[in-house]
Amino acid sequence: MSVGDVLYTSVVIFGISFALFWMAAFTLWWQMHAWRTPETLASTRFDRPDGEGRLAFSLLLPARHEQAVLSHTIDRLLESSHGDYEIIVIVGHDDPATAAVAEAAAARAPERVRVVVDHHETKNKPKALNTALPHCRGDIVGVFDAEDQVHPELLAHVDHAFRATAADVVQGGVQLINFHSSWYSLRNCLEYFFWFRSRLHLHAEKGFIPLGGNTVFVRTEVLREAGGWDQNCLAEDCDLGVRLSSAGKKVVVAYDCDMVTREETPGSLMSLLKQRTRWNQGFLQVYRKKDWQRLPGRGQRWLARYTLMTPFMQAASGVIIPLNFAVAVLLDVPVGIAIITFLPMITAMVTFVFEIVGLHDFGRQYGLRVRFVHYLKLVVGGPFYQVMLAGAAIRAVWREQRGRNEWELTSHTGAHLAPISATAAVSAAGASTAIREDGHQ
Amino acid sequence: MTATLPTATDPRPGTATAAGTAPLIPQQRTRPGGLGVRPPAPAHPLVRFRSSRPDLLLCGAVLLAIVLVQGWNITNFPTLSDDEGTYLAQAWAVQQGDGLAHYTYWYDHPPLGWIQIAGLTYLPSLLVPDWMTVAPMRFSMLAVSAASSVLIYVLARRLWLPRWAGALAMALFGLSPLSVVLQREIFLDNLAVLWMLLAFCLAASPSRHLWHHFGSGLAAATAVLTKETMLVVLPALLVTMWRHSHRDTRKFAVTGAVTACALIGLSYPLYALLNSELLPGAGHVSLIDGITYQMSRPGSGFVLTPGSGSNGVLRSWLYYDTVLPLGGLAGALLLLATPRWSVTARALAGPALAAVILAAVAMRPSGYLPAMYVIQALPFLALVLAGGAASVTHAVLRRRRAPGERRSRLIGRRALIGVLALSAAVYVLPRWYEGDRTALTADANAPYRQAAAWLGREVPDPGRTRVLVDDALWLDAVHHGFQPGLGAVWFYKADLDPAVTKTLPRGWRDIDYVVSSPTVRRDAVDLPNVKAALEHSSVVAVFGSGEDRIEIRRTDRADGS
Repeated sequence: MSVGDVLYTSVVIFGISFALFWMAAFTLWWQMHAWRTPETLASTRFDRPDGEGRLAFSLLLPARHEQAVLSHTIDRLLESSHGDYEIIVIVGHDDPATAAVAEAAAARAPERVRVVVDHHETKNKPKALNTALPHCRGDIVGVFDAEDQVHPELLAHVDHAFRATAADVVQGGVQLINFHSSWYSLRNCLEYFFWFRSRLHLHAEKGFIPLGGNTVFVRTEVLREAGGWDQNCLAEDCDLGVRLSSAGKKVVVAYDCDMVTREETPGSLMSLLKQRTRWNQGFLQVYRKKDWQRLPGRGQRWLARYTLMTPFMQAASGVIIPLNFAVAVLLDVPVGIAIITFLPMITAMVTFVFEIVGLHDFGRQYGLRVRFVHYLKLVVGGPFYQVMLAGAAIRAVWREQRGRNEWELTSHTGAHLAPISATAAVSAAGASTAIREDGHQ
Repeated sequence: MTATLPTATDPRPGTATAAGTAPLIPQQRTRPGGLGVRPPAPAHPLVRFRSSRPDLLLCGAVLLAIVLVQGWNITNFPTLSDDEGTYLAQAWAVQQGDGLAHYTYWYDHPPLGWIQIAGLTYLPSLLVPDWMTVAPMRFSMLAVSAASSVLIYVLARRLWLPRWAGALAMALFGLSPLSVVLQREIFLDNLAVLWMLLAFCLAASPSRHLWHHFGSGLAAATAVLTKETMLVVLPALLVTMWRHSHRDTRKFAVTGAVTACALIGLSYPLYALLNSELLPGAGHVSLIDGITYQMSRPGSGFVLTPGSGSNGVLRSWLYYDTVLPLGGLAGALLLLATPRWSVTARALAGPALAAVILAAVAMRPSGYLPAMYVIQALPFLALVLAGGAASVTHAVLRRRRAPGERRSRLIGRRALIGVLALSAAVYVLPRWYEGDRTALTADANAPYRQAAAWLGREVPDPGRTRVLVDDALWLDAVHHGFQPGLGAVWFYKADLDPAVTKTLPRGWRDIDYVVSSPTVRRDAVDLPNVKAALEHSSVVAVFGSGEDRIEIRRTDRADGS
């Protein structure tokens, strides 16, 4: 190579390495938010409730082809220690099996459970939620998924959180739990752990938050004022959070390992890919809706921009890091420049190490036995998971370009349920081939 | 590398002083945890150094004293050493853009130390290029000492010592004659101490912030890459971090720090790898060779064996000060033995462990003990001594004190403290006064200055003249117009560096002058070219007298034998 070529290559490598380094460093910084100081960690927990439940809850439970798990979910919700709540199960007019389970539950507990039928021709989760919104009688609307395992004390804590902090929105923790199911479920569980345990608290603190899809509670009048959920958005939960934070509403996030809503990872790598594609498309849509531009602070707008674009940057870095590394090793560049190409590797290594510690912490908090092989899977699976994420991001852009923005399926098998009910769920799953969380075509 | 402190002929027998018995204070109860419980305020009040006026004033006053004592006469005492010349010349090469050294960089030490020196001296050397020689550039070390002293104070306060004990630690660290003589010199150890103190300060951060601990790992790695011997202090740093982190976040904090330290530390072998200089091989230097050399340096004997090299080094330290090395070490051992009963012992466990580890490493019978080795231990010894004094004071004033204690008893307690403080002062102050007076008034470098000036004045065509000099004079010669590397030659490179010997086909006959300093005379024994040049030359100028004299010798080319 000529001197000019070397210089040119060096500048390119230098620029890319620094960009990647800062991107990874910021992501890491935010990911580790909760563990910054002991005080921060303590503040992520729910306060102990004062025992005075004063708010009325309307809990929305959209269910579609989920007859296998729905009954269990409702029963669990009925165990709640809170005194004042109603459960509104939303079923499709074309889904008699689920409707039957819902009606049976309503017959068992008529004072608590009601069934609302969604008559939309094409169905999706925001449409179902919007259908139920006018029927809500409580002060607070809460959203759960049909396969959620909700802690009996959760409502009491949320009630207290609303009153103690004067919040408009309370986002509770959601945790995928079946880390042992497959190599990708391990990483998926950990993603949720870092997101709900840590990162979301940062967003709440900064005043820009993409809300989660369930265990989210909003004051009913705030929700009605905001016009409910966006029916055309593939990430209606994220969109709601962005709109509410742009309107200056106060969002509180609380995580407690005893109190999280437990869920399972998608049953196959393909359904995980589809779920991710949908989220990414949803993030793109939210980005293009530009509600985040109404955020008052410049920092908030940058955080919004960055967060909504993260899947795509993640995809890009997944490809660029190895490429950059190869260029540095194979091409003849000065040693100083070659060292700089290792900067993104360093952040990647630090992230890896924190993930390992996170997995240990996850195991401790949930009383799960994490074995050596799991740590091994976590590390070895890392690059492959990155490839999957990149694939989902590329697929999302491609689908968005072609105007394909209908909902894709995410199937559930009930792997997160307790052993006894899991057996039941699996046998039911065998019978009906697939149980779906929000699948609508 | 040479012993840079004059070996004492008549060392005063050292006795340990005020090491301190620790007060008996019941252990803290474990904190309640669980749902919604905020951690209670820390058992000790947080020290907000920046906004505390008394702290700033006290620290500022001691700092002023340290800077004055260390800065006054800094160019004249102690004697310019080889090592200072080596690091400064390498820093000069970095500034010139010539790479990591002016000869082939051979992984003798990680290069970060003199890269920092290059940065520290960059501006002055730009403004007054001729000052880029050892004596004037010692002023840059003043900044390092000042920063380290402040960090000592901050660390002492973060380890919950009272204000006066923080100031005492700072004064012990900066004003001991041993510190004054060693901290003035351009040594990598002084820079490494700065980074290690920063690492300790961050590890004991009162806010227990994850990124402070991460930063502590980075600072520790920097310390190790500045002077590799800092590696042995890392366990003590870990202990400090463990004690000062919170149970709930400790896992992440400690792992983060270890990871940061390891990853940054690995950049050194990575650098060697990218240069294809990691493993030994023909025709190139390598990191493994460098490490092998350092590990296989001939030992200087057991430190307590009279007459051994190590013993000489120890005696040279004790010649300047006995209080800090011996008192500090005794205090450290005591603190490590009493963590169950003493709050101070628990808080100072890290520094005490550091002092003991460093002492243990120095005790290796087969090891090599350089004179600057003690520099790394000075801050920890100072902290432990000050902590011990605080502990004793606390015990005397407060122990078994009932609310309605009689006035006479209280007076008795105070009188005892007064007596203890006075006797310590009577023992220490006259000795330190003498030591520091020498440092403030003696001129040990006149011969070097005169020799450098002679080279500049009397050699007619320096650009085409070859002179063998020791490292301390090399930059002077370069500034006087000798060609760096092959004109002004580090004397031992004339025998050891193939790139240099290649240019001396006729051996000593290709050399014009030899500047014969004590170092040159001592090492010439093993260096044939240098030895021959000394033998076949005659003195043209002598500066100083006796063992320390510096001769300028011109080779006698007419002598064909």
